[in-house]
Amino acid sequence: MIYALRHRTIYSYEEPVTFARCVLRLTPRTSATQTVLANAITVSPWPASTSNGTGPFGEKTRTVVIDTPHAKLVIDAASRVDVHAPPPPDPRQSEPWERVRGESFSSRSLGPEGPAAFLYPTRRTRPVASITDYARRSFATGRPIVEAAAELMTRIHDDFRYDPEATTVGTPTEEAFTQRHGVCQDFAHVMIAGLKGLGLPAAYVSGYLRTIPPPGKPRLAGADATHAWVSIWCGEVQGWIGFDPTNAILVANDHIVLAVGRDYSDVAPIDGIILAPGIQTLKVEVDVVPEDAVAAQPDAADRSGRLSA
Amino acid sequence: MAADTATTGRRSADLEPTAAKRLSAWLRGYTPVPGIPDELFDTMRRPRGDWLSFLGDFAEYPDSEFKSRFELATRHIRDTGVSYRIYGEENERSWPLNPLPLILGKREWEQIAAGVEQRARLIEALLQDLYGEASLVADGHLPAAAVTGSPDFIPALRGVKPPGGRYMQLYAADLGRGPDGRWWVLDDRTQAPSGAGYALENRLVLSRAYPNLYNAMNVKRLAPFFDGFRRGLAATAERADPRICLLTPGPFSETYFEQAHLARYLGFLLVEGDDLIARDGKVYVRTVAGLKRADVILRRVDADFIDPLELNGASHLGTPGMLEAIRAGGVAVLNMPGSGVAESKALLGFLPKLCRQLLGQDLLMPNVATWWCGQPVERELVERNFDSLAISPAFNVQGDDGAPSGPRLMADLSPQERAEVRAQLADRPGDFVGQEVVRLSTMPVLRDGRLEPAPFVLRVYATWTPDGLKIMPGGFCRTSEQLDVRAISMGENARTADVWVIDDKPVERVSLLASQDDVKVRRILGHLPSRAADNLFWLGRYLERAEATLRLARSLCTSLMDSESAAHAGGETLACLQHLLIDWGALDEAKLGAAALESARDALHDQAAYGSVIYLVRAARRTASTMRERLSADFWALLLNLENDLNEGAQAPLSEAEALQQVESALQLLAALAGLAQENMNRGAGWRFLDMGRRLERGINTCRITRTFAHDEATTDDLDLLLDLADSQITYRARYLVGMALTPVRDMVMLDPFNTRSLAFQVDTLKEHLAALPSLLDDGMLEEPKRILLPLAAEVETADAAHLTAARMQAFERTLLKLSSAVADRYFLQGAHAVPTVKLGGLA
Repeated sequence: MIYALRHRTIYSYEEPVTFARCVLRLTPRTSATQTVLANAITVSPWPASTSNGTGPFGEKTRTVVIDTPHAKLVIDAASRVDVHAPPPPDPRQSEPWERVRGESFSSRSLGPEGPAAFLYPTRRTRPVASITDYARRSFATGRPIVEAAAELMTRIHDDFRYDPEATTVGTPTEEAFTQRHGVCQDFAHVMIAGLKGLGLPAAYVSGYLRTIPPPGKPRLAGADATHAWVSIWCGEVQGWIGFDPTNAILVANDHIVLAVGRDYSDVAPIDGIILAPGIQTLKVEVDVVPEDAVAAQPDAADRSGRLSA
Repeated sequence: MAADTATTGRRSADLEPTAAKRLSAWLRGYTPVPGIPDELFDTMRRPRGDWLSFLGDFAEYPDSEFKSRFELATRHIRDTGVSYRIYGEENERSWPLNPLPLILGKREWEQIAAGVEQRARLIEALLQDLYGEASLVADGHLPAAAVTGSPDFIPALRGVKPPGGRYMQLYAADLGRGPDGRWWVLDDRTQAPSGAGYALENRLVLSRAYPNLYNAMNVKRLAPFFDGFRRGLAATAERADPRICLLTPGPFSETYFEQAHLARYLGFLLVEGDDLIARDGKVYVRTVAGLKRADVILRRVDADFIDPLELNGASHLGTPGMLEAIRAGGVAVLNMPGSGVAESKALLGFLPKLCRQLLGQDLLMPNVATWWCGQPVERELVERNFDSLAISPAFNVQGDDGAPSGPRLMADLSPQERAEVRAQLADRPGDFVGQEVVRLSTMPVLRDGRLEPAPFVLRVYATWTPDGLKIMPGGFCRTSEQLDVRAISMGENARTADVWVIDDKPVERVSLLASQDDVKVRRILGHLPSRAADNLFWLGRYLERAEATLRLARSLCTSLMDSESAAHAGGETLACLQHLLIDWGALDEAKLGAAALESARDALHDQAAYGSVIYLVRAARRTASTMRERLSADFWALLLNLENDLNEGAQAPLSEAEALQQVESALQLLAALAGLAQENMNRGAGWRFLDMGRRLERGINTCRITRTFAHDEATTDDLDLLLDLADSQITYRARYLVGMALTPVRDMVMLDPFNTRSLAFQVDTLKEHLAALPSLLDDGMLEEPKRILLPLAAEVETADAAHLTAARMQAFERTLLKLSSAVADRYFLQGAHAVPTVKLGGLA
């Protein structure tokens, strides 16, 4: 499936900003299941310096420094991506979760391909007893990991209310858990914290989800959003498998991966420090357009009934 | 005591009878804990030679002399403000130092030094591998999960070559003696080891307290180590004569004093994250002369906080873009961020194997037996012996959920608590290590004239110099007040001790003089960081305002108590003084109309009034404490005296005479501070900012009091009072024999350029300062402060006292206030062109 992506971010400031240093993670990830055919990022005002790099988890980064006073910062990323993931595995055909835990502790890889970097708490995925116990109910002794994790994912989907007004980017995971509401970011963090509480390696994935307009209505430009889900290392054999707790589906060709990290902080599409009095408004527009409309029929929407980012 | 008698092996028979008696009483009364190794007695309960000879000589000091010597020396600690702070505490504590050092003989020391040196090399090699090829992990010598659990493992720096070539500049090991009497390692310190500065200070105190003893005992000197440390840091820079900065978390850090002390001792620039800016792959210090490159950064900020852009976004201690500069090779930061990973207890159990793997040697100094529960076999072993072990976090995770972060002895816990730990371990085995329970070995300390054993931890330092790896011959020793301890933190009830490493031959008199050819003569004073300029400026303003307030209080005490003048004009003048004090925030508005003495007391001691003398002096002390490395010990001691005097005075309501006495002595101390600044500070930018603060404040105050007391209907009493406040009484009487008259008084106080208290003098001095400070503009145009000051100077110079209206004086005052803001904008971090940094927000 080939997608045309557009991700436009506009910061407006009340007072002109004199200096900004931003790290942009707006180039989709290249992996065995995803090929980036094209990627262009434009920044306005024109940066004084630009440098490209690779982040700690394999993400392509662009660092820009802007030193001309500006009241508005516009970052526009356009990409073409070919997603060719295999169908999700049969949940029952996977290793017992305890064995996966043992394997991940003896892993020989420090890098993002292995599980070791994703085993430990981060500020946003700190295991707490309540979340661990919530997760534990799906993890009976010896249960296959994909089956157990899929059940946890579905429970989060069923128990939590999707509410974009309820949380912000800074809401602590524990609060979202206690209140049982939030957005994709909160659900992913809750699921990761639960898995980590059981000693399992789980990563945070940022990206986009293909959305299906209601029957008979045209797709609205800019109506899509960035999305987030969870990737679990399911043992040496199966490796990483994606779980989307917001939609209760296993990840396949409808999800386009932007970046993978330990939590939101590692993968935020735009991270920046500005010199400013601090009042800013933010607008984000995202378009995810499948290039082959015909191939888009039998998809996630039919399986989950509801799609939301 | 003659030097030649004080070699080793001295017998008590050589001692004077009283000394011999004291020594034998000490030894007889000393009872180490059975089964715990001790420093004074060896395993056969024989006193070790070097200790015996030290105690023998020490016993020769009569009790009273010993006390006075030690007290005198420790007073130095108080005066120089050697102190530390428990996190979250407002006040600093003074440093508790043991009168007895830890004595280590030559053989003992060689064992320690060899062990620490090997360990330093081992950990450096380990860091090189972990952030480089990671072959230890790939080849199965070390599980990846034993590394990634550390918050100091920084994935963003994998594959980045440390700009200076090394990960560590300073390594430290915390040591104790194991049950078999051998030294072993309790902890490794690889992030940013603290305490070396305290070791220096402890040495200074003890060598002053017992100079003869110290010189006679062939105690190895510390200075060469620090010289090597400095040269080692300098050698990591890209260019010769590098600018070396010590990056501190700031005055609220537990070990701020030590950092300030080290910076001063080593000649480094003490900076906070805000002082630095990363641009184009390099790091610069913001100074009053613009951005100046920081070549080498000695890091005392934890790695996670060093770059809010790439690491902990909530950090206010770092510099955005620092990691990028490190990756670009434009700045050497030592110890390299990420070095802290080697402090993890998870690694301890792997070190013997890693030592063979990396160095091809057996580990010389063992560490406490430790099993990381991330491995199935080790975990099983820990679970089997659970109740007899200590369970510790495997990594230095800063638990913000209140979880205990130190080792916990399972035997000490209730069955329910033990079950909880077991359950946690079952869920997340990799978070824990099991450790053999260790009791710290003991050393003798002096308590109430008796010798007693106290548990201790010895921290030994290693540094890389251009001449190779060097071990500090000495260290930082902490002792505990309780006998049964397993770990010591500086937090509670710990004391420190100097560490004397005894050589068997006389130590060379070490000269730290560099070889003649190396040193180029220079007269540049270095660039003043903007933050320091800001603090000095405000220190000057606080001190001057305190002085002005004291003069008002003095007038309240004297002239108004003088019955004659009080009778006819008292009411009005009193109200004027009170209004001034209210305007300055020294007096509560509700107190208008109170008795003179009461107002004087309030102006001196009202802790709630932001303009009272006590408040201003405290503000001055706080400001000064953030830049101790720039102030002389004398300056600091005087300032502390001043504050203590005022604190004491505030205890009980003062009588008129006492209040006056308090004012007079405070004024004298302030005069001494001003004199010290004038005579003992280099005429660099630092002194100029301190003086500018003072001049600006004085100029503003002069305008204010002249407007109040030299108005067109002023009485002779008003003018008399004005001359008192402006400290110009004597000059006036010498010059004008006719007595008080409005125009000459105004001229003297405002316009006379020869009167050091006049507005004209302040303006002239400010002009000189601004002319001497560096300009940032390269287009030849005037900078804003000068644009404001020069017209004022011309106006003051050409003004005529007879026509100096209140409105005109007020205009001068306003111009000075404008000048103050312009100086801040131009030179300080808080200026308009350096608005605060904010993180871009939103789910973008």
